[in-house]
Amino acid sequence: MSLIAARGLTHRYPGNITALDALTLDVEPGIIGLVGANGAGKSTFLKILLGLITPTSGEASVLGLDVRRNGTQIRALVGYLPEHDCLPPDVSATEFVTHMGRMSGLPASGARERAADVLRHCGLYEERYRPISGYSTGMKQRVKLAQALVHDPKLLLLDEPTNGLDPAGRDEMLELIHRTGAEFGIATVVASHLLGEIERVCTFLLAIDAGRLLRAAPLATFTERTGTLAVEVEDGADALAERLTVAGFTAHVEPPRTVLVDCPDERPYDVVRDAVADLGLALVRLEQRRHRLEDLFSDEAVDDAA
Amino acid sequence: MTLPDTSAIYDLGYRGYDGPRLGRRAAVWALFVASWRAAWGLGRSGRAKIVPWGVLGFASLPAVIQSAVNATAGPIAARASDITYDNYLWAVSILVFIFLAAQAPELLGGDQRHRVLALYFAHALERVDYAIAKLGAMVVSLLMLTIAPLLILFLGLTFASTDLAAGFRDQFGKLPQILVTGAVYAFLFSAVGMAIAAFTPRRAYATGAIVAVFLVGTGLQALLRRAGGSIGDWPVLLDVNAVAEGVRHSLFGGNANGPVSLVTIPNSGYFAAFAAVVIVGYVVYFWRYQRIQA
Repeated sequence: MSLIAARGLTHRYPGNITALDALTLDVEPGIIGLVGANGAGKSTFLKILLGLITPTSGEASVLGLDVRRNGTQIRALVGYLPEHDCLPPDVSATEFVTHMGRMSGLPASGARERAADVLRHCGLYEERYRPISGYSTGMKQRVKLAQALVHDPKLLLLDEPTNGLDPAGRDEMLELIHRTGAEFGIATVVASHLLGEIERVCTFLLAIDAGRLLRAAPLATFTERTGTLAVEVEDGADALAERLTVAGFTAHVEPPRTVLVDCPDERPYDVVRDAVADLGLALVRLEQRRHRLEDLFSDEAVDDAA
Repeated sequence: MTLPDTSAIYDLGYRGYDGPRLGRRAAVWALFVASWRAAWGLGRSGRAKIVPWGVLGFASLPAVIQSAVNATAGPIAARASDITYDNYLWAVSILVFIFLAAQAPELLGGDQRHRVLALYFAHALERVDYAIAKLGAMVVSLLMLTIAPLLILFLGLTFASTDLAAGFRDQFGKLPQILVTGAVYAFLFSAVGMAIAAFTPRRAYATGAIVAVFLVGTGLQALLRRAGGSIGDWPVLLDVNAVAEGVRHSLFGGNANGPVSLVTIPNSGYFAAFAAVVIVGYVVYFWRYQRIQA
């Protein structure tokens, strides 16, 4: 049984705005990255999986349950972290997470225990007894994750979980997601517009653009295809690019002084080193470029997906 | 108590949950109880308790005083009193209305304002379940508010009697009136208040709109009746309070209060107005929660 399956899943909002366009996919349990630009249809897709939005046409199932007919059952098994703020300011994290546990059908005592457990897991200690209005954005995101975990779901749907966090907060949140998904075995879908972030935690990547599935594949295959080596030299970028092209690599200059080399494997590293040494260039930086979303959506990537 | 070092956060690990899952019905019940507690400020700050408990206190005050007088002066005082089952709720209905205007937005507005609604709908309970739990909490709260003072009066009059058994038999016949009149107010007021409060996340707007419906109704009916014409006494039905009093008077008789004592329209007019407001209010309320964007 696949974790998530969709067949020709299409959703149009009033005004003929197509949010999802004939999405067909099968996803196995794991940590799944759902990547796409803002407005690509990520949130719509998650809401359809929760049974909150009825798709215009097509089929979808979560954990083998049909999203049209078994919405309530799905929601009992799934934890959801919405993209937007969703916390009442006047209650404490403990009260709120306990309450949300009860909203999933947990008995009072069980909900209290679970709330304490998941809040600790999410890194909230004595502050969890204070009203949420005094929390930082990072703490609020942790509470949102805790409420999604409180009923021990089979699947977590996280919509932009690092929204609004500073770099340190992002790292901590990603680490938390990674631990929850990888070590505790809760299947997770992380929606994000930042590929660089998502690739740090997932094993499988779904890329959507304008409601269409661009690609669904294990993370490794993405990395291969988008690998680029950036070589920054003080002078003579043109000469270096020429040299690398002659050596059979695809290289071009990114002004003012960086050469980008397609890097499908490890061969370019040695060649770059030798070329730089031969030309007597001052090497400033040699780095694997962070894969950007745009790389996925380049013509090449789309052609590959088709 | 020493707090664990933060570096040890994750080492405590994650435990699964193997306990019972009680499902949708338990979730609705839990939301009902939580909402009822919120309506009375229970588990909240002292400030949140001022309005509900203050209102209940003031609404009960006449009954408490009456009971105290009965206890000291005996049955003669009880019989001479102006405070009766027939006029009590009419007299304190302004307090019931204050409770509604303050607490209906409290129950519904915050979840919309802070978008907690999106979380509720993502859980095992349905939209209609949420609406039922919140409405139930309001109806039960209003029932407490309308019935408790009259029960105090009931006990006060019962114990004022020299022969306790006879006193109880005397008063017992009034129990249906106490319960039914309380229910009339609770259903009528909740229909108006909850239907309005469901439409705005802004507390002030909701409170203002509820106040407006009551005040405009009261003023308009007096104005229209004075203007006379072919509509005669019917405008009295624009006054929500008068509709409740009209239903009470139609069912249980006694002296009519307020505009109801000034007009002559058939009893069925009050019943029809009551049914119309309750049905329309509840239908609008549930419709809103089916459609609301969470």
